[in-house]
Amino acid sequence: MKLEVGYIQIRDIQTADKSSVKDGILYVNTKELEALALEDEHLKAVCFDVARPGESIRITPVKDVIEPRAKVEGPGDVFPGVITKLNTVGSGKTHVLQGAAVVTVGKIVGFQEGIVDMAGIGAEYTPFSATYNLVVDFTPKDGLTAHEYEAAIRKAGLKIAYALGKLGVNVTPDEVKTYEYPSIMEAIKKYPGLPRVGYVQMLQSQGLLHDTYVYGVDMKQSLTTMLSPTEIMDGAILSGNCVSACDKNTTYHHQNNPVIEDLFEEHGKTLNFCAMIITNENVYLADKERSSDWTAKLVDYLDLDGVIISQEGFGNPDTDLIMNCKKIEETDTHTVIITDEYAGRDGTSQSLADADPKADALVTAGNANQVITLPKLDRVIGTLDYTEKIAGGYAGSLEKDGSITVEIQAITGSTNELGFSRLSAR
Amino acid sequence: MDVIVTNNPLVSEKYKSRFRVDFSDTDLMGVFIHTRDLVHKGYILQTHPLTGGVKPNETFYKTVLLSEASAELDLQSLKIIEETILTAEKFTHKNLPEQYKNDMQVVDLSLISPVLEARAKQL
Repeated sequence: MKLEVGYIQIRDIQTADKSSVKDGILYVNTKELEALALEDEHLKAVCFDVARPGESIRITPVKDVIEPRAKVEGPGDVFPGVITKLNTVGSGKTHVLQGAAVVTVGKIVGFQEGIVDMAGIGAEYTPFSATYNLVVDFTPKDGLTAHEYEAAIRKAGLKIAYALGKLGVNVTPDEVKTYEYPSIMEAIKKYPGLPRVGYVQMLQSQGLLHDTYVYGVDMKQSLTTMLSPTEIMDGAILSGNCVSACDKNTTYHHQNNPVIEDLFEEHGKTLNFCAMIITNENVYLADKERSSDWTAKLVDYLDLDGVIISQEGFGNPDTDLIMNCKKIEETDTHTVIITDEYAGRDGTSQSLADADPKADALVTAGNANQVITLPKLDRVIGTLDYTEKIAGGYAGSLEKDGSITVEIQAITGSTNELGFSRLSAR
Repeated sequence: MDVIVTNNPLVSEKYKSRFRVDFSDTDLMGVFIHTRDLVHKGYILQTHPLTGGVKPNETFYKTVLLSEASAELDLQSLKIIEETILTAEKFTHKNLPEQYKNDMQVVDLSLISPVLEARAKQL
């Protein structure tokens, strides 16, 4: 499968009478987008704001972040089986409005986290302080259940991102990258001397605000399976996942998975990237056993030399992570796991809720219990009523000067376990 | 026979006709300790007690499913519940706002429902 991705650099978002992309500016007619969002009978109102890098703005509670993309050539279109007709994506051409993002906001449940600061120290902890964000705040109709509200926001955000993505279809990209994912036999023949490496991506799949969808299928109902990484770039995997905000993959993370990017970068040089496996993280312990058995079976069948495993979330997914690692190692395949830590505020507690001696190669994305003080910012998009009281902090975490002391787990993407963050060790 | 250990009234109300429900008006640690007691009696954990991404210090409610006792102690269940208790203990206490209790019940119910529905069909 071969996908050509054209990146159109976006340097600002401005409201206008006509939506278009011109000279790196994304012009949006918010009335049209409002009508699009309100096609969903569950939504009462929608409010648009633009948040730019460096502006004194705090966005919360963030539900999802989506990159505007659309297909230029090839079968299907982005977000297949959900927003567009079901078809196998991942080949042909796709255009990306790089530097722009749709950020959806909505208080689905009262105790929701998810902070994106566009300025100050908090901005350094989220990648979405560096994007030009069209922030969309949704108000539900009265009497809507939390599940209905979540589904409505999720779909409306994707529809808006797709509508914006289509504006770039006839624009000449600033940069074009080609990603080629050959069949396994072709890959073996092409690079016979290089170690054959696979990627096992774990997807959280547990319930409200904890779900992931693959071609529209709720991942908790799927067995471990395989797909091309280029399909993921075209939005085959979608996020319904935002609690806790620090280590949940937004749709933007899936569209720009850095593990996939780096494996492609090294493909044919130091390794042969020849297997993309996705598996779930369910609550049921029998599902954990079944899915990790299946992951190890696939790895063994494909006779891989090494596997990278990325986790999503904290707590019970630690058990899935260790099961996957242990069972894959038992097939004589080397593993490297990517996780984050809840090591207490001083960093001295045990980091994971599970462990095994076979998990001896690990990359950490940071300690989510790390405490940070976020300064008062001029503007808030969304609502602060929960964040000020509890999120990642404690009652009274709101200081007299308006600053908030929180654990970085409250910040969207701060310890992302795909490594899509700016944290590093000193 | 399956046993639901919960402090969530929504779960208790919805499933008490189909399962044995050990409901108690207790905190999360109370749910975990009762779960551990059952594991020591030979019950086997069916769900991971640290459901979802809501931290142990950020919700009032938790639900765990176990299956009937066997003659032997299930070591995997014991390992998981002991690690759960250790994990829960390291989270700093927070004064949670009472007004979000219903939302917390809804999320806990959502996390456990797929398992309980699947299990009810098997029974």
